[in-house]
Amino acid sequence: MPTDAAPPLIVQLAWLIPLYGFAGVALALPWASGWIRREGPRPAAYLNIFVTLLAFMHGSAVLSTVLREGPYAITVPWFQAADLTLSFSFDLSLTSLASLELVTGLSLLAQFFALGYLDKEWSLARFFALIGFFEGAMAGVVLSSSLFLTYFLLEMLTLSTYLLVGFWYAQPLVVTAARDAFLTKRVGDVLLLMGVVALSAWAGVMRFDDLYSWAAGAQLSPLAGNLLGLALIAGPLGKCAQFPMHLWLDEAMEGPNPASILRNSVVVTCGALVLLRLMPILQLSPLSLTALVALGSLTAIGGSLVAIAQVDIKRTLSYSTSASMGLVFIAIALQQPGIALLLLFAHAVGKALLFMSVGCVIATTNCQDLSELGGLGRRMPATTCAFLVGAAGTTGLVPLGCFWALGLDVQAMLRSAPWLAAIVLLANALTVLNLTRVYRLVFLGASQPKTRRTPEVNWQMALPMVSLTVLVLVTPLIMVVIDPVPGLASFSLPVALSLLLTSAGALVAGCLLPLRKGWSVTILRPLRLLQELLAYDFYTDRIYRVTIVALVAGLSRAAARFDRDVVNALVNRVGSLSLASAEGLKLSVTGHTQTYVLTGTVAIVLLLTSLSWVVR
Amino acid sequence: MLSGLLVIPLLGAIALLLWPGEVSGERLRRTCLALLVLQVAWSLWVLWQFDPTISGLQLEEIAPWVGSLGLDYRLGIDGLSLPLVLINGALSLAAALVTSTSTPRPRLYYALLLLISGAVNGAFLAQNLLLFFLFYELELIPLWLLIAIWGGSNRAYAATKFLLFTAVSGVLILGAFFGLALATGTADFSLQPLLGQELGMGVQLLLMGALLVGFGIKIPLFPFHTWLPDAHTEASTPVSLLLAGVLLKLGTYGLLRFCLGLFPDAWQLMSPWLAGWAAVSVLFGSLAAIQQQDMKRMVAYSSVGHMGYVLLAAAAATPVSLLGALFQMVSHGLISALLFLLVGVVYATTGTRDLNVLRGLLNPERGLPITGSLMIAGVMASAGIPGMGGFISEFLVFRGSLVPFPVPTLLCMVGSGLTAVYFLLLVNRVFFGRLSPPADDLDTPLPVVPLARQIPALALTVAVLLLGLAPQALGTLATATTTAMSRASQHLAALPVSAAPERLVAGGRG
Repeated sequence: MPTDAAPPLIVQLAWLIPLYGFAGVALALPWASGWIRREGPRPAAYLNIFVTLLAFMHGSAVLSTVLREGPYAITVPWFQAADLTLSFSFDLSLTSLASLELVTGLSLLAQFFALGYLDKEWSLARFFALIGFFEGAMAGVVLSSSLFLTYFLLEMLTLSTYLLVGFWYAQPLVVTAARDAFLTKRVGDVLLLMGVVALSAWAGVMRFDDLYSWAAGAQLSPLAGNLLGLALIAGPLGKCAQFPMHLWLDEAMEGPNPASILRNSVVVTCGALVLLRLMPILQLSPLSLTALVALGSLTAIGGSLVAIAQVDIKRTLSYSTSASMGLVFIAIALQQPGIALLLLFAHAVGKALLFMSVGCVIATTNCQDLSELGGLGRRMPATTCAFLVGAAGTTGLVPLGCFWALGLDVQAMLRSAPWLAAIVLLANALTVLNLTRVYRLVFLGASQPKTRRTPEVNWQMALPMVSLTVLVLVTPLIMVVIDPVPGLASFSLPVALSLLLTSAGALVAGCLLPLRKGWSVTILRPLRLLQELLAYDFYTDRIYRVTIVALVAGLSRAAARFDRDVVNALVNRVGSLSLASAEGLKLSVTGHTQTYVLTGTVAIVLLLTSLSWVVR
Repeated sequence: MLSGLLVIPLLGAIALLLWPGEVSGERLRRTCLALLVLQVAWSLWVLWQFDPTISGLQLEEIAPWVGSLGLDYRLGIDGLSLPLVLINGALSLAAALVTSTSTPRPRLYYALLLLISGAVNGAFLAQNLLLFFLFYELELIPLWLLIAIWGGSNRAYAATKFLLFTAVSGVLILGAFFGLALATGTADFSLQPLLGQELGMGVQLLLMGALLVGFGIKIPLFPFHTWLPDAHTEASTPVSLLLAGVLLKLGTYGLLRFCLGLFPDAWQLMSPWLAGWAAVSVLFGSLAAIQQQDMKRMVAYSSVGHMGYVLLAAAAATPVSLLGALFQMVSHGLISALLFLLVGVVYATTGTRDLNVLRGLLNPERGLPITGSLMIAGVMASAGIPGMGGFISEFLVFRGSLVPFPVPTLLCMVGSGLTAVYFLLLVNRVFFGRLSPPADDLDTPLPVVPLARQIPALALTVAVLLLGLAPQALGTLATATTTAMSRASQHLAALPVSAAPERLVAGGRG
């Protein structure tokens, strides 16, 4: 907790860190909007890289202060009216600052990478503006210690995801992908908003610490508690692309690769971190914990299986991201925050590296179809090396990051729920199998027409990739430093062996898998059905279409029809009726004063009688 | 001092009409702009004089007028009307700015514009029921003319529909005011809440019902909304902007000031039904918007949805929800004005508003990139993305209404989710995708929108962002008034607030 003395200035100003990213948006605007054309969009890119560097350095300075003097908390008042107080509070603890460094560091590398990847892109400035927005929102989410601020920034993240996925908005697939990304996340966000509003109304506080103490004493009815819990987990479920809200991450691969790097590593990490912060409140709802375990397991296994059936190099990796997040969700639901953090960290750096390597492949070959790639191994050594290291870092095959995290995870599961340990091992094995398959298809084998002229990538892409390769190689050392649980290697030898052996088994299986490219679609009927089921992601898009989409479309059609055929028709009918009756009454004009006086008298009497009822 | 807000536009309108000789359209436009700038400056001066810590009326001006009728010239301003007066000034100016310089019959046009602006100011400032009604009706005629003369092809139908609906609304309101005088036996039309046992509940309900329907037509609430899409479709851009941005707010203002203010007991009795009505209105407006193929109609139906939040907040009548109602009025005014403005730009450059025809307008070389970007900002603000005006308003409304009315509030949140559905459809169809020009002129770019015409849209976007990022200013301005309004109906809020937690949170700090 914060010391009594005023914190150093660098800590006091920590609320600036998310603003660096947002400032990048403003700085890139003159180029992005076309006010400055003559110089080309490069300055916007440099400015954004510079502000990201600033954010990273500011974060490091705060981190070193916190390492020295313990955590701080700062609060910026934002809105106060009636009996409502909303403030932006930031938690400057070791965990959140480490996550911040992860976010800003990977953002820095991804932006550098983008300089090379989007070399000829005409709207480079717009891309960097959006990345700045993205990074600012993420930096805020990891630092936030107030549910309100977290929600605020998560929604901004949704918006920036929409704009980044829709970056190449002229292509039809991109447009649907952007729409799906936004709407899926929005469903999660609206549910989360319900939870946030309910918490704000019931607890009256928004800081996580205050909410924890409220939750400890709250006497909610089981229904209210469960609804609250389900609403709160919906946001992270959408952000982390968990079943049934996983489709968007796969479609989002239509966006530019540098954004995919961030999305698959740090954005999903942000979602999981939010869930971690919500955990003590979720104790109010046992149902939501069960739901987390169930959906996490489902996504871990289902996502890994679907990944194996994909032919698109980016999509196969994105499904494995969903699967890894499923494992994280299980760990969180089983009250293993330390292990969840380690898994998140190891996965984030490893997956970012995999996506960089894949980005290099795509940039060089202009192709992301696995069946058209091959034989890149000897031509692109740095890329190959990065893929291998990234793959090793995200699986339990070699003692890099994920091996240790998964080992701890399995050990912890064995104590409480052994079948979950089996799921972890199975998901890991399937991921190994898939990565082996992808490696063989892309880097081994004979050259394909599209991979004949494939030199190694330019230095703007190679430099961040190689740096990240080194970082992944030293991940275990970093994990030892940030490790909040007792010892990185505190799991038994049988656990380690089982992890290694299942991984190795999957590796061998992956090597032996027949991968003739002409035969990528099997002719065996049952196998074919299975393959299509997985390749089309259990037909999730069709399930969406016949459920939620059909529901909303049907209701909206009904509403529109009701509006046209009942409300509006009634009005028009009254209108034409009065016109017609006027036409008819015209004929009754007689000129007899008696009739007029009689009509008038009757009307007046009627009116007065009705009035007398009113005044009664 | 408040009279200045009436005198400037109203006398200005008369002066424009009486200006002798042939006057060029450009000159009339300049004069009108100057007057509107003066009006904005005047309202800023009122803002400067305003003391936000006082909850009651300020800067009152009272002069007896027709005493025998109970009609006094009585103006006053508080935290509820001041923001609306400011919005009215700003949006009138924006409407005049975006009016095409080649508008036919400019003299009448600008005079009517000023007349509307002055009448709306009058309605927001009037503290006498009859005076309010005078201004409320005064604004109808010019708007009707603006639609009927400068409207689109089907303008006669739309204008007549508008006139009939709003005339019925006026009759109901006037009837309710007279009924009130008749029932209380006083010919005093000053604005005082009807306390306790003065009137039987049946009469109160009847009078309030008439007012509700009257203002419900104006807001508009389902099922009285059907004039709005037609009026918007046929009205020209500046008129749509005024209609959505300012005139609809007269309805919600009346709801808060008269229904809630005059009949707290009847309001309390009806509030669960009103919350349900709000939810129906929100969901209906949002669902109907999804099916619209005309950009203007879509935005119009979104208005139906978004104005429903105000009814929900008014029904709850907690301090936070009433503040949210005001926020929602202000933010909806800004956002819908922005959206109509941008739709107007699209219509002016492409000649169509059909979602099935328009494609890829975000194209940076041949399309409307700035308009498209602002449109994305506008629809995101409308969908309630934080950092923009829509979010904080909706948050306040929901936060204030959840405890008294949990189910309607949750349904309204679903409506807020649906906003994203239809506006995403709009952006995806109109601005994303490939720009496909007609086959015969492949390389003709769309006409470039001059920067001067972008300025109102840019200014509105900035205002929406400011409201979303720094809501404290508006909060400070309005809190005292809205809290007092809520307290005036305290016994009304007390019942549902204490009842709901028992249902949902036993023992939580409700």
